[in-house]
Amino acid sequence: MMINPLLQAVFLPIILSPIVYLIGRRIGSKVGWLSFIVLAYSTLLIIYAASTKPDYFEFYSWQPFGVFGLRLDGLSLPFAITIYLLSTVLAVYSIPYMTHRIEEEFEEQHLVYSKHGLYQALYLTYASGMLGTVLATNLIQFYIFFEIMLIPSYFLIAEFGYGDRARISLMYFLWTHIGALLLLAGILTTVFLSTLYGGVVLTFDMVHLQPSGELVKSFDTSSIPITYIQAIAVLITVGLFVKLASFGLHIWLPYAHAEAPTPISALLSPAMIGIGGYAYLRILLYLLPLAYEYVLFAISIWGLVTIIYGGLMAFMQDDVKRLLAYSSVSQMGYIIFGIASTFYIGISGSVLHYVSHGTGKAILFMVAGAIILQAHGLRSISKMGGLAKKLPITATAALIGFLTIMGIPPTNGFQSEWMIFYGSFAGAIERGDFAKTIVSGIALFATPLTAGYSLWLMKRVFFGKLPESLKDVKEAPLTVTVPLLVLAVTGLLIGVYPTIFTERLFPAVQMLLGG
Amino acid sequence: MNEALPWLVWLLPIIGALLTPIFAKIGDKVRDYLAVLFSLASAVSAALLLLSNEVIHSTVEWIPSIGLQAGVLADQLSIIMANIVAWISFLIMVYSLGYMKGEPNLTRYWFFMNFFIGNMQLIVLSDNLLQLFFGWEGVGLCSYALIGFWHTDEKKYWVGTPVEEGGRRAWGREQAYSPSHAGMKAFITTRVGDSAFLIGLLILYTHSKTFSFTQLAEHTEWASSLASAGLLIPVTILIFGGAIGKSAQFPLQEWLPDAMAGPTAVSALIHAATMVKAGVFLVARIGPIFYTAAQAVNAAPLFFEAVAWVGAFTAFLAATQAVVGREIKKVLAYSTVSQIGYMMLALGAAGLVAEETAFASGFTAGFFHLMSHAVFKASLFMAAGALIHACGSKYLSDMGGLRKVMPITFFSMLLASASLAGVPPLSGFWSKDAVLASVLEAHTPYAPILFALSVATAMLTVFYTFRMLGLVFFGEKGKLGLEHKHGLHEEAEHHLGEAPKVMWLPYTILAVASLVIGLAGPFVETSLHNSLEHYLHEYGFEAAHKGFELNLAAVGGSLAALAVGLPLSYSIYIARRLDAAKIVNSSKLLRAIYIFLENRWYLNTLYYAIFVDGLLSFARIIWRGLEVSVIDRLGDATASASIIFSKAGNWFDRYIVDGFINGLAYINVRFSRLARILQTGVSQNYLLVFAVGVIVVLIILVLNPSLLLR
Repeated sequence: MMINPLLQAVFLPIILSPIVYLIGRRIGSKVGWLSFIVLAYSTLLIIYAASTKPDYFEFYSWQPFGVFGLRLDGLSLPFAITIYLLSTVLAVYSIPYMTHRIEEEFEEQHLVYSKHGLYQALYLTYASGMLGTVLATNLIQFYIFFEIMLIPSYFLIAEFGYGDRARISLMYFLWTHIGALLLLAGILTTVFLSTLYGGVVLTFDMVHLQPSGELVKSFDTSSIPITYIQAIAVLITVGLFVKLASFGLHIWLPYAHAEAPTPISALLSPAMIGIGGYAYLRILLYLLPLAYEYVLFAISIWGLVTIIYGGLMAFMQDDVKRLLAYSSVSQMGYIIFGIASTFYIGISGSVLHYVSHGTGKAILFMVAGAIILQAHGLRSISKMGGLAKKLPITATAALIGFLTIMGIPPTNGFQSEWMIFYGSFAGAIERGDFAKTIVSGIALFATPLTAGYSLWLMKRVFFGKLPESLKDVKEAPLTVTVPLLVLAVTGLLIGVYPTIFTERLFPAVQMLLGG
Repeated sequence: MNEALPWLVWLLPIIGALLTPIFAKIGDKVRDYLAVLFSLASAVSAALLLLSNEVIHSTVEWIPSIGLQAGVLADQLSIIMANIVAWISFLIMVYSLGYMKGEPNLTRYWFFMNFFIGNMQLIVLSDNLLQLFFGWEGVGLCSYALIGFWHTDEKKYWVGTPVEEGGRRAWGREQAYSPSHAGMKAFITTRVGDSAFLIGLLILYTHSKTFSFTQLAEHTEWASSLASAGLLIPVTILIFGGAIGKSAQFPLQEWLPDAMAGPTAVSALIHAATMVKAGVFLVARIGPIFYTAAQAVNAAPLFFEAVAWVGAFTAFLAATQAVVGREIKKVLAYSTVSQIGYMMLALGAAGLVAEETAFASGFTAGFFHLMSHAVFKASLFMAAGALIHACGSKYLSDMGGLRKVMPITFFSMLLASASLAGVPPLSGFWSKDAVLASVLEAHTPYAPILFALSVATAMLTVFYTFRMLGLVFFGEKGKLGLEHKHGLHEEAEHHLGEAPKVMWLPYTILAVASLVIGLAGPFVETSLHNSLEHYLHEYGFEAAHKGFELNLAAVGGSLAALAVGLPLSYSIYIARRLDAAKIVNSSKLLRAIYIFLENRWYLNTLYYAIFVDGLLSFARIIWRGLEVSVIDRLGDATASASIIFSKAGNWFDRYIVDGFINGLAYINVRFSRLARILQTGVSQNYLLVFAVGVIVVLIILVLNPSLLLR
C-alpha cells in the first residue's frame, strides 16, 4: 500500500527542485537523470493510483478554502498520464539538448553547471504545476497550480530561450497571465453568485464527498440570472482561449513556442496549452452548463476558424519550430471543436486529442530539436533537405508524429479525430441543429490542410537533395532517439487500443454532461 | 482453427513487416527471403479459407463502452478478394527479389511491402467500416512511402518528361514530378476523398449506431431515419468519395499517373493489382447494403447512378490519355484508371437494374473484371519493369524490336495485353463483355450513352494496348542499348536480354493464368456468379440461379472495338506502314487534340492552379494582411500595455482579491525584481531563493491557509 500517491506525485518534484538545483551545480547536465528518476517515480505513482480504482481521490482538509483535493478520475487520468509521461521522457531528452543549448552561451564550467541545475529545478516545478492543475478539485487550488505552471515556464523561456527571449517571455507571461486573471474573475464571480442565488454555503470545492462515498457537485448555478451567466461565460471562455491560443488570441504562441528551448516547446505546445481545454470542461461545462449552452455555437465556429487559420499560417513558415507552433494553434481548434460537440464521445475525443497531440507534437518538436542539435542550430526549412538519409530514426519518428496530427490510423490521432467529428455530428443531429452538421462537415473537409503542411514539411526537410552544408550530420544520440521512439510506440498502442482511456473517460464525460 | 485463419491472413504480413528491421540485423538474404515467406504464409492462409468454404465471422471487444467490436468477416466476397490479393502479392514479392536486387534501403522496402499486404487484407476482411478505415489509411501510408521510395529525388527517378528532356509545359508548369512530390500528391489527393468517406461514415454511424456490415444489412432502420433527415443520398455519395480517391476515379484521378515514380514492383502491387481496387471493393461491400436499404425507403438509387457515371466517364477520360502516353508505366497507369472505371460502371449498373434478381449480374461483372484485370495488369507491370531494367529507359520510344531479345517477356506481355484489349478467348474478353452486358441491362434512360462511352473506351483500349506492344517489341532495334540518357538503372545497362527467372516467372505465371481463366471463361463467370449470388442472398437478395448466357449486343460492341482499333494500331505501330507523328502533325486540329490529351485534359494543371497555387496565395494574403499587419501588432502592443497592466494588476491585487493575492503579489514583486536581474545574467541564485520562497508559501498554504487570511 502506497501512502498518498497523488500528493507525492504532485509535491515530490516541487520539493526536490531546490535540491536538484544544488546537485546540478556539482554535477552539471547529469542531474537530468535525477529529474528523470523523480518524474518516472511520480508517473508510476499515478499509474498505481489509477489502478486502485476508477475514480481515485485524496482529500486533505484545507480551511477556509475547503478541501485540498487531488482527483484522478476518467477525465483527469489521460491528462495526468500525458503530462508526466512527456515530462519524464523530455527530462532525458533535455540532457543532450540543454548541454548543447547552455554551452552555446557559456563556457565557464561552474556557470554551465549551475545553469543545468537551474533548468532542471524549474523543469520539475513546471511539471508539478501542470499535474496539480489537472488533479485539483478546489477552484483556488486550481488557480494556484495554474500559476505555478506559468511562472517556471516564463523563467525557462527567459533564461534558456532563443532570439529576443526577454521580450518574448514577457509577452508570453502577460498574455497568459491576462487569460488567467480573466479566468479568476470568472471563477470568483461564479462562486459569489452561486452562493447568492443558489442559497448554498460559500465554497470553492467543485465537488464534495457524500457520506455514501460519492462525489457530487457542490455548485448550483442554475438559478443565477442569465445575464450574469453570459458575462461569466465570456470571461471564462476568453480567459481559457488565450491558453488554448485560439484564433485572435494566439499571437503569443508562435513566438513562445518557437523561441523556447526545444524540450520546453515540446511540453508547452501539447501539454500546457491543452490544459485550457481541460479547465474548460471542468469549470465551464461542469459547473456552468447554462454558460456552455450560451457559447456553444460561437465556440464551434471559433474552433473551426482556428483549425483553418492555424493550418494556413503553417504553410507560410520557414522556421520549423514556428511551423509546428502554428500547427498547434490549428490542433487546439480541434480540441475546441470537440468540446463544442455537446456529445460525450465528441468531448472525450477532445480529451483523447490532447493525448494524441501530446505524443504527436512532442515527437515533432523533439525532431526539430534533434535537427537543431545535429545540424548546429539549423531551423530554416529552406536550408534543409534530404535529411532522411542522415537521420533515419528521427525521420521515422517525424513521420509517425505527422501521421498522428493528421489523424491517420493506426496512430492515436485517428481515434481522437473520429471521436471529435462523430460527436460533433451526433450532437448536431441529437439537437436537430442542421447548421452544426454542415459546420462539422466543413471542419472535417479541412483536415487535408494538415496533411498538406505536414507532408510538405516532410518533403522539404527529409527528402530530396542533401545540401552540401549538411553532409556531416549524424543521427542524434540515444538520449534523443529513445525518448522519440518511446512516445511513438505509446501513441501507436493507444491508437490501436484506445480502450485503456475510453472505458473510464466516456462515463466520466457523461457524468460531466449530466451532472 | 478456422476462426483464426482470417486474422492470420492480415496479421501475418504485419508481423512480418514489424520483424523486418530485426531480420535485417541478421543479414540481407535472411531479411529478403523471410519477407517473401511471410507473404506466402498469408497467401496460404487465404487459400485455406477458400478450401474450407464456409463463412467465418469472428469478433473481439474493441471499445466496449460504445459497443464497438473488431472483427473479421470471411464470406464469399472477401475470401475471393483475399485470395486475389494474397497470391498476386506473393508473386510480386518474389519478383521484387530480382527487381530490387542491389538497391540500398531494402529494409524500408520490405517493411512497407508487407505492411501494405497486411493492411490491404485488413480492408478486405474487416467486418466493419471503422476497422476497414484503418486498413484504408494504412495502405495509403504504404503507397505514400513506396511511391517516394527513392526519396533522394535524383532526376532519373522522376515521373513524366522534364523540360530539359523535351517535356512539355502546361500553363507554364512542368509536367514532371519527383518521387517525394508524387508520394505527397497521392497522399493528399486520396486524403480529400477519405475526408468525404469519413464524413459519410460518421453521419451513417450517428443513425445506425453500428459500423458492422452484417448489422447494417440486418437492421435497415438507419436508412429511413437518414432519409427523413434528407441525408441518405449525401451520405452514400460521400462514402463513395472515399472510393473515388482510392481508386483514382474522376475527379480525384490525377495522383495515379504520377504514382509511377515508385519502383515498378510497387506500381504492380499497389497501383495496379490491389490498393486501387480497394475503392471497387468498398463499393462491392456497401453497394448491396445501400441497395436494400434504399429499396426499403423507396429512395431513388442515385448512389448507383453516380457510381456508373463516374466509372464510365473515368474509363473514357483515362483511355484517351493512355493513347498518347510516352512512358510505358504511365500508359499502363492511365489504363488502370480506365479499367477501374469499367468496374465501377458495372457495379453502378448493377444497382440500376429493373429486377432485384438481376443485381447479381452487374455485381459479378464488376468483380470478374476486377479479378481478371488484377491478373493481367500485374503481369503487364512486372513485364514493364523487366523492360525498363533491360533498356535502362522508361520511354516507349527508346524501346523497339525487343521480341527477339526478350522472347519470354514478349510472350507473356502479348497474352496479358491481348487480355487487356479484350481479345477472345482471354479473361479480359469475358469480363469486359460482362461489364458491357450489365450496362445494357441497366434500367436507366442513359444506358445507351453509358454503353456508347464504354464501347468507345474499349476501342481506345485496343488501340493503345497494341500501340504499346508495337512500340516495345516491333520495329527497328535502332535505339536499343545506344541511348541510356534516361537510364533508370545504370548497372543494368549491359544486360540487354531476358530478365532473370525470378522476375519472368511471376509475370509469365500471371499471363498464363489470364489465358487459363479466359479458356474457362464462361465456367469461371458462372461459378463466380453463383458464389456472389450466395453472398448477396445473405444481404436479402433473391437468387435467380441463371446459367451463363452471352449478351450478343455486348459481344458485338466488344468485337467492333477490336475491329476498329486493332487494324489501325497494327498498321501504325506493328507493321509500321503509317507514321503516327506525320498524321498528327498533318492537321492543326489533330495536333491540338494530341497536346490536350498529353496534358491530361489540363485537369492536372487546373488542380495545381486552384489547390496549390490558389491555396498558397490565399494563405499569403492572410499572412500579410491579417497575421503580420494586425494580430502581430497586438503582440507588440502588449509591451506597452504591460505598464498599464501592471498598474491595473496591482489595483486588482490590492482591492479585489485582497488576502489570498498577497501570495501572488509576493510572486509579482519577485517577478519584477527578477525581470531587472535578468539583464545582469546571474539570476540563478535569486531564482533559487524565489523557488524556495514559492515552495514555502505553498507549503504554508497547504498546511494552514487560514494563516494568510487572518
